[in-house]
Amino acid sequence: MNGFVDPCAKCEEMLQPFLDRELSEGERALAEEHLTRCSYCRKRYRFEEHLRRFVRQAASEEMPPELRQRLATLRTPLF
Amino acid sequence: MSDRSPETDARRLATEARDRVRFEEEALALADQVYRVARHLAGSREEADDLMQEAYARAFRSWRSFQPGTNLRAWLLRILTNLNIDRGRRAQRAPETQPLEEGDYFLYNKLEESGATADEERVIERLSQDNVVGALAAVPHDFRDAVVLVDIGDFTYQDAAHILDIPLGTVMSRLHRGRRILKQQLADEALKATA
Repeated sequence: MNGFVDPCAKCEEMLQPFLDRELSEGERALAEEHLTRCSYCRKRYRFEEHLRRFVRQAASEEMPPELRQRLATLRTPLF
Repeated sequence: MSDRSPETDARRLATEARDRVRFEEEALALADQVYRVARHLAGSREEADDLMQEAYARAFRSWRSFQPGTNLRAWLLRILTNLNIDRGRRAQRAPETQPLEEGDYFLYNKLEESGATADEERVIERLSQDNVVGALAAVPHDFRDAVVLVDIGDFTYQDAAHILDIPLGTVMSRLHRGRRILKQQLADEALKATA
């Protein structure tokens, strides 16, 4: 073993926690530094960000107004 | 000696009524955000409706156990998640799925390899809302809960661990796996959409 770590593989591992803002400061700086000079990873990060935004919007359903009314009726009567 | 005059009793009751009203108003103001998550924790709109009503009824009954100043949305979703489990919707454990060896660049690479388009981001936009809702529904429950809480509910890993009452590491592994399953589903749909 020569201990070589593929920087793109490392960056790929950090993709999810990076976008979830769950990396430590040091890890984040490492990922950002790699992203500034690696267009392969940069494209994939940008794509993932776009995908997440799209999924969030597409999966976002408004609460039916009747349900809102039913929830309000569950409140404890004041008197 | 405690002061239990009718006057202090009345004051105490008035304070409690005011706190309860405030709690109920704050909980109702969050209902839209809670529903957005509940919709995908439950299997269907009807189930999400039932679950919301049960969760809010329970929250209004047990409002005293909420600690003011803590995250009310997470508290409501914890009640809802527990009810979802109690109702036996998850009696069957997550099915064994094929191991997913692909990394996180999998979907991008697959779209790129397919040569479907030079612009992979545009491929995603060809997916319909139904495609996304269907792909999410196809993710086994345990994994989906983590994905829905973090990706749709925008909760931190720590909040998701608290809501689901599981260790942080379990949230991370379920989230990781759930997202990969979701991406695999979306890749299939996206490629169909471009065929």
